Amino acid sequence: MATTTTEIPRKFHQAVEKWRDTYLPDFAYLMENWDRYFPRDDKFRLCAYRECGMPCSIECGEDQGKPKYTRACDMKPEAAHHLVSAIRAQASTEFGSIQQHQLTLARAQDEEEQAMVLRMMAEELRHGYQMLHLLTDDDWQPITGQTQEQTVEEILSMKTGSHVLGAFNIDFESFVDNIVFCALIDRVGKYQLTLQKVSAYSPMADSMPQMLREEAFHLATGVVPLRRWVVKAAAGSPMITMEVIQKHLNKWVPRAYEMFGDERGGATNVKWGLKPMKNAESQDQYAKECAKVVRDLNMRYLRARLPELTLAEAEEGLAALERDRGTFRGVKFDDLLRLPHREYGRRRGVPAFRWIGVDGETFESVEAYLSHLTRTLPDGYRATRDFQDFVDNLRAVARGEKTADEAQKAMPQLRRVGGVCPCSKSVRWVADEAIELPSSAVGA
Amino acid sequence: MLRRGAPLSAEAIQVRSLTELDLDGIVRIGEKTRNRYEPDLWEGRVTYYLRRAPEGSLVAEVDGEVAGFMLGDVRSGEFGIEEQCGWIEVMGVDPEFAGRGVGRALAEEMLRRYAARGVRKVRTMVDSSMPEVEAFFTRLGFAADTLRSYRMDLDMSPVPGRD
Repeated sequence: MATTTTEIPRKFHQAVEKWRDTYLPDFAYLMENWDRYFPRDDKFRLCAYRECGMPCSIECGEDQGKPKYTRACDMKPEAAHHLVSAIRAQASTEFGSIQQHQLTLARAQDEEEQAMVLRMMAEELRHGYQMLHLLTDDDWQPITGQTQEQTVEEILSMKTGSHVLGAFNIDFESFVDNIVFCALIDRVGKYQLTLQKVSAYSPMADSMPQMLREEAFHLATGVVPLRRWVVKAAAGSPMITMEVIQKHLNKWVPRAYEMFGDERGGATNVKWGLKPMKNAESQDQYAKECAKVVRDLNMRYLRARLPELTLAEAEEGLAALERDRGTFRGVKFDDLLRLPHREYGRRRGVPAFRWIGVDGETFESVEAYLSHLTRTLPDGYRATRDFQDFVDNLRAVARGEKTADEAQKAMPQLRRVGGVCPCSKSVRWVADEAIELPSSAVGA
Repeated sequence: MLRRGAPLSAEAIQVRSLTELDLDGIVRIGEKTRNRYEPDLWEGRVTYYLRRAPEGSLVAEVDGEVAGFMLGDVRSGEFGIEEQCGWIEVMGVDPEFAGRGVGRALAEEMLRRYAARGVRKVRTMVDSSMPEVEAFFTRLGFAADTLRSYRMDLDMSPVPGRD
């Protein structure tokens, strides 16, 4: 497990530090209190890691067995273009998630949970830095037409609303979002990092192991508080209920599925050796993993509601609830959490804008479906611009004014209008028109 | 499901790095082996080891179920131990799979990973009231060390020399 560490060129490093001071203002507090919250752990360092001893041959695709690429200029232009889009999108997610988490970090009710999220944010900053390292350690200009300064500027100037992927354009409303996001959206990130670990571009592959180590903790940062919250919910806590958690699952799970890219896509990534799996296949595995998370939470809840149960009785009880959807010793099936249906609330991919409910039920009209969404999504989220855009597009598709494909493409576009980033000459980007997503997306 | 008591082939035991998804399996093994349902304890421990180094702690799966786990860490700092040392700190095997090679598979992978990290010495602490655990480590090649454990029971009486 040997790694090398490096820093990106000074002007870019300073730009990231300036970005950090703006969007991660509690970083100094984290550093000052590191030993209090994370005794024995190596202190956080803003740098890029590369794993030593990784495979040197391409591991999948049409060039399997050939030496991996160490420079973008040696790759096929289309493959390099595909790759740089993925790196850029990955960077966007890393920085974007920090902007989201920062909104509600202070609303945590538990100091330990807050410290875990704060550390996770610092590590996401490092992940974004790692992507900038990839973008500034090679010459991408022949592919992107951008200088390094422009590329870094573009990424650091993105804000919630102008990020590449939908999940990173949704404002958090409470600390429930911070935790559910870690448990679900970071899980997509884990998949993407795992897939990219075999990338035919060796700097990308070598960047993944350390990111994956850190991602393992990020998932625990989501799952462990959720496990504790369902116990509180079982005890009738006024702070958290199963219904609130369920509504947040409903809010984030559809976005998570979409982060894998269109279910029909991903073959190109496999062909070029950039990832070993198509989109639908990795989405399937993700869904199974999420189903396990939900089942484990339900077991934790059931045992908190019925502490007198033995392990065997609890397992039988949960199985009966799942099978019969009835009641077990006073605990109703509806008291439990469920993973929303794969087609619920989708705006991208094969099921985009279909009227499918949380349990896979169908609806007769768009208004009936909207009524279902009203009941199943968090109140705060329904007041957001993101939800309004979705509703507008859903109605437009229902009226026949847009096809589902056209509605899918109604995403924010970035436009340069001038700005303040210290690493280049004053440009910034704002939301404007529609853009195309990479055919296979990435995650934090 | 593989028959209880039958020896497991190496292929039947899948050893991999710990993840947060293993929590329920670990809690279950803890409950079976210690007769206590302690999810809070295991949530804290698993979070700690994931935070430290997720590749340094292992889970063994049989038929997709968690059959055993081994949590470890690389550190130094004990009196007299200057070098980085691998520690095997907690382990558990589902009684259903006891004596079927799960613990050995975990330990061998742990030792392999420690060696790959450049660790030269691996240590563990076993209470003498657990001869079966002692025997397990002895069979793996562990031998008694110069490191000794000391204990003091604290009570409510004032510390000598203080008011």
